Amino acid sequence: MKLALTIDSRPETIEILSPAPACRFQLGDAPPRDANVETPESGVYSVLVDGRSYDAFVEDAPAGLVVTIEGHRFEIEVHDPRRWSRKAAGAGSDAVQLILSPMPGKVIRVLAAPGDEVVPGQGIVVVEAMKMQNELKSNRTGRVLSVQAKEGATVTAGELLATIGVAENADPGEKTAP
Amino acid sequence: MPHPCGAAAWKWPNSRFGLRSVDKPEAYPTGCYNSICMFRKVLIANRGEIAVRVIRTLREMGIGSVAVFSDPDRTSLHVRMADEAAHIGPGPSAESYLRIDRILDAARRHGADAIHPGYGFLSENADFAAACEAARLVFIGPSAASIRAMGSKTAARRTAIAAGAPVIPGTDHAVTLEALYHFAATHGFPVLLKAVAGGGGKGMRRVDRESDLESALRNAASEAERAFRSPEIYVERLIERSRHIEIQILGDRHGNMIHLGERECSIQRRHQKVIEECPSPLIARYPEMRHEMGQAAIRTARAAGYYNAGTVEFLVDSDRRFYFLEMNTRLQVEHPVTELVTGLDLVRLQVEIATGAPLPFAQEQIEWRGAAIECRVYAEDPFNDFLPYPGKITRLTRPLGPGIRLDGCVYDGWTVPMEYDPLLAKLAVWADTRDHATARMIRALREYDVGGIHTNLAFFRQILEDAEFRAANLHTGFIDEFFQRRQPPEPPPDLVAVAALAAALHTTARKPAAATGATQTTSPWRESGRDGLLR
Repeated sequence: MKLALTIDSRPETIEILSPAPACRFQLGDAPPRDANVETPESGVYSVLVDGRSYDAFVEDAPAGLVVTIEGHRFEIEVHDPRRWSRKAAGAGSDAVQLILSPMPGKVIRVLAAPGDEVVPGQGIVVVEAMKMQNELKSNRTGRVLSVQAKEGATVTAGELLATIGVAENADPGEKTAP
Repeated sequence: MPHPCGAAAWKWPNSRFGLRSVDKPEAYPTGCYNSICMFRKVLIANRGEIAVRVIRTLREMGIGSVAVFSDPDRTSLHVRMADEAAHIGPGPSAESYLRIDRILDAARRHGADAIHPGYGFLSENADFAAACEAARLVFIGPSAASIRAMGSKTAARRTAIAAGAPVIPGTDHAVTLEALYHFAATHGFPVLLKAVAGGGGKGMRRVDRESDLESALRNAASEAERAFRSPEIYVERLIERSRHIEIQILGDRHGNMIHLGERECSIQRRHQKVIEECPSPLIARYPEMRHEMGQAAIRTARAAGYYNAGTVEFLVDSDRRFYFLEMNTRLQVEHPVTELVTGLDLVRLQVEIATGAPLPFAQEQIEWRGAAIECRVYAEDPFNDFLPYPGKITRLTRPLGPGIRLDGCVYDGWTVPMEYDPLLAKLAVWADTRDHATARMIRALREYDVGGIHTNLAFFRQILEDAEFRAANLHTGFIDEFFQRRQPPEPPPDLVAVAALAAALHTTARKPAAATGATQTTSPWRESGRDGLLR
């Protein structure tokens, strides 16, 4: 099975030629390598490769996985090269700013309503966790298309709170809130 | 009536426990610490790691402990560790840990003699200290009057000025938006907004331009209101590239006061300390500063009639001039580095002082040995603007071995509540030199693993390996500059290969149900990645 990865923004591919524990894998065009892999705890991978011992700690994150080895931290996304580019292009459209919650927390204030004209730096939603308030701002001159956030609601990291369209013409193709 | 322990005027007219002592002086054996003079039971009006820290010393002293807890803290470690526990309300602090009536009621019901306030919450609330005394409970800390003189940051500035300590240009009272514009116009930018009732960086905002003043004041006031129930904000000129160095002082109720040296706390994010050390590398180079700053701290504390443990904070500019910043009238989060280097237990001393005992040593008996460093382990993502990251801890391995001290409240399976500070633990190390302590901390960080949430553990390692940190070129803007100059570390190729392998195995091992349940968030990339794998 071949997987495409993004490791700290660098594209890479990995192919698992035989499964753990007697694992054989190929990274990019490098020669295949053998590794002995055990999982002593959930999310912990003990890897023996070329006589060296590594503990890799794998954590889910809003934007993929975070792998920590010997204090080095890698942000890794795993995707199927046949599909991801098409979808990503659609989601990342510049026409609409998606206001996402950057952390798990609680919506304590909604500062804008659908249809409001906004300017760059204007606060849209305030999320609080652990006594820290985070004001999420518009990055453009535009109009609020939709507000999903509700005051008092608990949100997860990456949850959609509001969308903002460009100023002059709200994209006809975009969904507009009622 | 003189007390048998040697103190000239030992008495606690308001304390049930003090009255007993004064009434029957003939009942005392020699020395008072383990006899009738000592508290039998202490309630800790706090939560988390500091409650755990206090319980540990109480247990060593043979004193019973009473924990208090809110709904989300029922399973927190301080509740499990204490001898007794009392429920005091729902999650929001304003309805539990800040409710003086409920805490005093719990103390009464459980028969506590004294209350240890920890740090944060009610620890610097003069009304709370006064209410404890009125309820015949000993408040383990300074008098309500001292807290008033020092707890309000603007009143503290006035006290420091009266004591002859240098202060930073600023206002001696809360400001309105117009006054803020006026101050900025007079003194220029950057300025620093601070909560009058502040502490822990809450309600603090750096402002670099006029257009940001209004929103900064609004946000700071709102944050201060939530943290301290007071929206008052004052303003100071911001001194760039300054060091934060603070002096630990200790005074008894008989007029004796000493200092226990300094802590350097210049490594901060959002005006909150993340790494602290003792001795300060600057003072290690210029040892006469310890005496000068120590005396300034003692003068300031005396001006407020201070007793018990306290900390006088100073900013030190690039010319080594120091300015009074504020005084914390309580135990400090970072007190372990002082304990490691002086060999003292500050909580034990706080308790002894609160019973009326005199300080057991004089200034010249205090010695500083070796070097200690502390890292504050927070539930947050340092690579995403240090945003907090509460959640369930799914895995935990703690560092062990020579020279390690870990104060924490974390256990495997605990859900870190989103209502409170993200501080999980304080990892401190001691070694004979700063270099050895740094190496020891890096070693300890490598052993430390917290799974299920984000922490700043990996970030600490990058800081400790930084050449500027090694050279002790510290200042409060260190972390911002670190992020600007930082080259993403070039990891050895083997590590990249192992990381890729682990990520691939982790992804393919996930069952469909686990894949959707393992994380509550999705990105288009991850969804498509999973789709691809599952087809």
